[in-house]
Amino acid sequence: MIEIRGVTKTFTGREGSEVHALKDVNLTVGDNEFLTVLGPSGCGKTTLLRAIAGLIDWDEGDIVVDGEPVRRPGPDRAMVFQNFALLPWATVLDNVAFGLELRGESRAARHAKARELIELIGLGGFESRLPGELSGGMQQRVGLARALAVEPNVLLMDEPFGALDEQTRRILQEELLSIWERRRLTVVFITHSMEEAVLLGDRVVLMSPRPGRIAEIVPIGIPRPRSADVGGLEQSPEFTAITSRLWQSLRTMHPDHRTAARAAAAQEVTG
Amino acid sequence: MTASGVSAATRRPATSLLRKAVHGTLLYQLLTFAVFATAWEVYGRYWGGILLPPFSDTAVATVELLGEAELWKALWLSNQALVLGFLASVVLGVPAGLLLGRFRTVERYTDIYLSILLVTPMAAVIPLLVMSVGFGLLSRVILVTLFSVVMVIVNARAGIRQIDASLIEMSRTYGASEAQIWRRILIPGALPAIMTGVRLALGRAVTGMVIVELLMVSVGFGGLILEYRALFEAPKLYATIVIILAEALALIAAARWVERKATPWAAPRNSSRSTRD
Repeated sequence: MIEIRGVTKTFTGREGSEVHALKDVNLTVGDNEFLTVLGPSGCGKTTLLRAIAGLIDWDEGDIVVDGEPVRRPGPDRAMVFQNFALLPWATVLDNVAFGLELRGESRAARHAKARELIELIGLGGFESRLPGELSGGMQQRVGLARALAVEPNVLLMDEPFGALDEQTRRILQEELLSIWERRRLTVVFITHSMEEAVLLGDRVVLMSPRPGRIAEIVPIGIPRPRSADVGGLEQSPEFTAITSRLWQSLRTMHPDHRTAARAAAAQEVTG
Repeated sequence: MTASGVSAATRRPATSLLRKAVHGTLLYQLLTFAVFATAWEVYGRYWGGILLPPFSDTAVATVELLGEAELWKALWLSNQALVLGFLASVVLGVPAGLLLGRFRTVERYTDIYLSILLVTPMAAVIPLLVMSVGFGLLSRVILVTLFSVVMVIVNARAGIRQIDASLIEMSRTYGASEAQIWRRILIPGALPAIMTGVRLALGRAVTGMVIVELLMVSVGFGGLILEYRALFEAPKLYATIVIILAEALALIAAARWVERKATPWAAPRNSSRSTRD
């Protein structure tokens, strides 16, 4: 379980201006929950994820994972990156085994574990390839396998499919769903795609920018397993009802939206 | 599957070599060399006089020189300074460059000295060197190092700088220590740039080796050049230069080969004339 209580984070810009990346964020993520975080750019969603990962400090509040306050990265949490962050000089096998290697596991043990995960994510036969020889979708499969290899309780995913083309993204969404349905774990998944957020999540956290805070939490009642018929699911009235409701909230936050622009201008005048 | 696999494997090197020769630069290089040699020959025959012997005379003198003990003695002597000075610049330059790349504060204090090292005409340092360490091997080694170390430092530093920050962050999420980040991310990540720096430094080291022998201690190749100049033996003078050039090109080709072998993942980026298609 992840408990986030009153977390506030302010960045100081170059000219001394303050940016409220997170303001008084309160959120509880249940065990084995798949939580998606949705919001326009600049709403602090990535900052929140990096805080949970222990990569950055915050100013106020607490983040507690399974009863342990977060101070730094820990073996209970693993992260999947938007740009994959694979070692270009290491083979698929060594990339998947990298987290285990840093933890000092023996070569035989970590390679056995890595092979098992390479099978799971459907890259059997590619063990000795270099990342540069793989497509973007395959590279992110490696990134996912590396994270799963360390057997985390919490999987933190930072727009993991954001750099992929539409078709690849759909296939990987299905793949992720089917893996998660088989081996349950807590997932915090950042995205800027409404469809992705609704398709994957048990709940969608909608964040708004300036200052970054939670605007709304929307439970997604669509039954699981969802991986079997993703296409049909996206056509269902339930799905479209939720996405259009999310869109109503999102569009007012969008920087190109009139009231949002007016609000930002008003804030500048008063602040 | 095995039969076709084997034949494909054995056929590939031959065809790729041929393709390289046709599509690559080898053919063009041979062509330009032929034009250059012809022009040299013609100019040397009709207008060269005592200063510029024809290409053919130089070629003959080169072959003759290769048979003389004097050349091999010079080669041995010169290369002592080259090898020691070059090794010193790698041993000193790589760690220095890596530290400068990783720690900005170190760089803030030392940047100016690096710039000085980069722009100083090294020939100007020679009298100072002779006064302080004399005419021995040591001063030649130091000069070769001064010539080449900057290339190693600057490239190793750039190698660290261009490492994707998300790789460091990724390894942090798996609990990597600073030592592990160095060993598993920074050093392999900087390796392609380090190898490029080493190759460039090799070229500068050869320059340093010859300059120090011409200006300071007339031994080795530099000594030969000065000797043939004094005797007005232009063909042998040119032959010496050709041999120095040949050695430098061979060393750089070897460095390029090591570079490719050591960093296969960086191959397409490293060689601008990549033949991958």
